[in-house]
Amino acid sequence: MNGLSVHLEGVSKIYPHFTLDNLSLELPTGTIMGLIGANGAGKSTTIRILMGLVHQDKGQVHVLGRQMPREQAAAKLDIGYVSEDMRLYGSATLAWHMKFIRSIYPQWDQPYSETLLRRFDLKPQQNIKGLSHGQRVKAALLLSLARRPRLLVLDEPTTGLDPVARQEVLAELMAVLADEDRTILFSSHNTLDVEQISDQITFIDRGRIIASDNKETFLDRWRRLRLALLPEAVLPKLSGVVEVGGSGRLPVLVTNRFDPAMVSACNDAGPLFKLSTR
Amino acid sequence: MNYEMVKRLILKDWYLQRWAILASLVGIVATLGIIATGGKVAFLIGLILLIMVIISIGAQMAVATIVTERKEQTLPFVMSLPISYREYTACKIWGNLIIFMVPWLTMVVGSSGLLLLSPSSRGLLPYAVIMSTEILLSTCLILAVALITESQGWTVAAIMVGNLAVNGIGYLVAHITGIAKGMWGATIQWSGAASALLLGEFATIALLLGVTSFVQSKKNDFL
Amino acid sequence: MLTVYTQYRDMHSDIVISQSDGRPMYLQIMEQIRQRIAVGDWAPGKEIPSIRELAVTLRVSVITVKRAYLELERDGIIVTQQGKGSVVAPDPGLGAKLYDQELAKHIDRVAQLGELLGLTPRELASRVREAADRMTKEYS
Repeated sequence: MNGLSVHLEGVSKIYPHFTLDNLSLELPTGTIMGLIGANGAGKSTTIRILMGLVHQDKGQVHVLGRQMPREQAAAKLDIGYVSEDMRLYGSATLAWHMKFIRSIYPQWDQPYSETLLRRFDLKPQQNIKGLSHGQRVKAALLLSLARRPRLLVLDEPTTGLDPVARQEVLAELMAVLADEDRTILFSSHNTLDVEQISDQITFIDRGRIIASDNKETFLDRWRRLRLALLPEAVLPKLSGVVEVGGSGRLPVLVTNRFDPAMVSACNDAGPLFKLSTR
Repeated sequence: MNYEMVKRLILKDWYLQRWAILASLVGIVATLGIIATGGKVAFLIGLILLIMVIISIGAQMAVATIVTERKEQTLPFVMSLPISYREYTACKIWGNLIIFMVPWLTMVVGSSGLLLLSPSSRGLLPYAVIMSTEILLSTCLILAVALITESQGWTVAAIMVGNLAVNGIGYLVAHITGIAKGMWGATIQWSGAASALLLGEFATIALLLGVTSFVQSKKNDFL
Repeated sequence: MLTVYTQYRDMHSDIVISQSDGRPMYLQIMEQIRQRIAVGDWAPGKEIPSIRELAVTLRVSVITVKRAYLELERDGIIVTQQGKGSVVAPDPGLGAKLYDQELAKHIDRVAQLGELLGLTPRELASRVREAADRMTKEYS
């Protein structure tokens, strides 16, 4: 099955102190998209609009073929949503939550849920309030993953997790994609995670999408150039320089429109100390 | 409207509040017991206690299931379920009302029984029924405010207003001629005033719930 | 700030991807597949994991594996059959050809480093000869 799992067109949302401006986003089925942006850039708002939890002021939102927010109840049957600002009920156990979710979603996979319990090292009889932050995140993910939803929408799924837990989560997310009818959209601060598993990367800044492209293209075009300038040399003019760091005779330039010809331009100013993608 | 989901959500809220619900029942029964021991002082104290207990039950349930859910950030979890705000609102209104009915009916039946049993206090029955319904009205007000304003501050204000109203109206009603006349007698004297009051109370309850449903259906953002 | 880099191992083929390696992931995948084929671990005509399978095992995006496979196919190392997955290309001279490709790449890199260090071609050549001599001694 092909088509778009998520389709946002011209979506705008106006708040007193923040505006989401004319957002358009396309997420093909069977792929995974990472959403990168600073705090307050609009990642969470975009995700809420796509889940139908916030009604856009302008524009069309289609998720799994359904119009949001009008058909949100039907859509959410096939969507797994875990967000950073979401909590489970502290006074109940994980087992209770699992039973609760199982009673609602017919696609609950009991054997898989037990596998996840083992992999994530969670004890179902434990009260949620007794769990550490990382365990709570994994618990929330388990409740979503065990239903095998067609679309996973995750707001900061690995934030605050220790390195081991991060790997476990990434492994489970990739396992989801073994089925080419399932799609993942996740937002993250952690550029390493996004770079590693995303097929597509979208950058959001101040309520606007500033770039959205496939991950390999991004990695090709973004380069960090460290130069050692000769005594009287001037910094070469490169196109698409988004950041200039370093100091004095050891500047560091970051460009998002890399071209091998830049290397020779730099060589004129001084030897290229190091060229890297990070 | 997905009634299955509303039912599951209501059961979920009841499960999470199970200890509070149990404690409230115990409280009511214990208070009725105090009243039943006889004696004027026990009667008065028991009555005041009863009113306090039942008012706080209604308030606590509304706060716990609505305000606290928002504060403790479990609302996104609920909204991630296959529901719309319609189901959420229905769950909160009916879940809270139905479960409040349990201690409330216990109180109404219990206190009516006690009043009927001792011949000297039968006259208080109409008054008791009106005041009980007044407490139900106060709880509905708290429910409406909690849902519509989504604010802890306004809900607490509504709880205080409800409390004052019950006291204030209790005083006023006791002085309405139609009711005051038969209050201290040994027979039940149901007056037209009493009927009118009771009708008015139920009408207000229906209005509150209707307005709440309407306002909720017009909301755009759930988080 | 401590960053943890991890290695991913594909159980079937022992392919290891490391994020701390500065090179793009698709290149690492390509190189390791080339090596497996060059040393004969993966015989010509042998089935290799599908793009999606490898992506899942290595915890790398599908698009990265796809790119690696595409470039490998362009180089004639593997062959992808529509709907049937990918296999090692049946070219018998593959082993030697791959080694030769490897050598050419390394020589280019050596030349680049020599330039960065400011060595003359002669100095560079003598360094290479030293290394070659050392290698012969070790293996004789």
